[in-house]
Amino acid sequence: MAAGLSDRVREIAEARGLPESEVFERALERGLEDLWEDLALAQYFDGELNREETIERVGRTRVERAEREREVVEEDVDWGLNA
Amino acid sequence: MTLAAVSDAGPLIHLAEIDSLDLLSAFDRLLIPETVYEEVETGGVPEGVSEFSYELVEADETRVTSEELDAGERAALAVAQECEVVLLTDDFAAREAASDAGVEVHGSIGVVALGYGRGLLDRSQAASLMRRLQRETSLFVTEAVVERGIRMLDEQ
Repeated sequence: MAAGLSDRVREIAEARGLPESEVFERALERGLEDLWEDLALAQYFDGELNREETIERVGRTRVERAEREREVVEEDVDWGLNA
Repeated sequence: MTLAAVSDAGPLIHLAEIDSLDLLSAFDRLLIPETVYEEVETGGVPEGVSEFSYELVEADETRVTSEELDAGERAALAVAQECEVVLLTDDFAAREAASDAGVEVHGSIGVVALGYGRGLLDRSQAASLMRRLQRETSLFVTEAVVERGIRMLDEQ
């Protein structure tokens, strides 16, 4: 995996004409954004953030998608445990 | 109670990605439309297909008119309607179309929960597989949602 990541960084850097350090920086920013959104949604589902605060952090589309996913997962787990 | 289902390609692919196709043995009867099998076969028949029994069936896809669904999803929904069995899909649009048609529908997370409910998995294995579905497969589901599903395993 480590070699695979290095190869990818090198290929992106060459294709975009960027130093590899900037590729790493952008990857970190993008990954951190994902983790930040996951945290906000987890806090929303746990009742630590209200819906409007969560929408401010991650956007309405992301919140609505996560709400729909939660509905589906709850239906599925309830069915699986009781089928 | 006899449990019968028909699957589209999604759950077959996602469960194969976490080496858990054997969980489909929790169903007493599993149907796979030929169109779906061909879709899955395009990516190479997944290992584990021999670990559960299934019936390949022909489907009258024209029964389902939704343009949002692909051929495999239409075929699986048509079989679910015709045979009155559960539809397995991980696609939101297929799920909505099934609900609108009065068909019971569930996805890969539900199959893992079913494996736990039927004693094929212990709680730790079920939680691990749910997390792997989120992290290691092409199934798009939010981490916090999967954690909510795992907590539900403890609530019942």
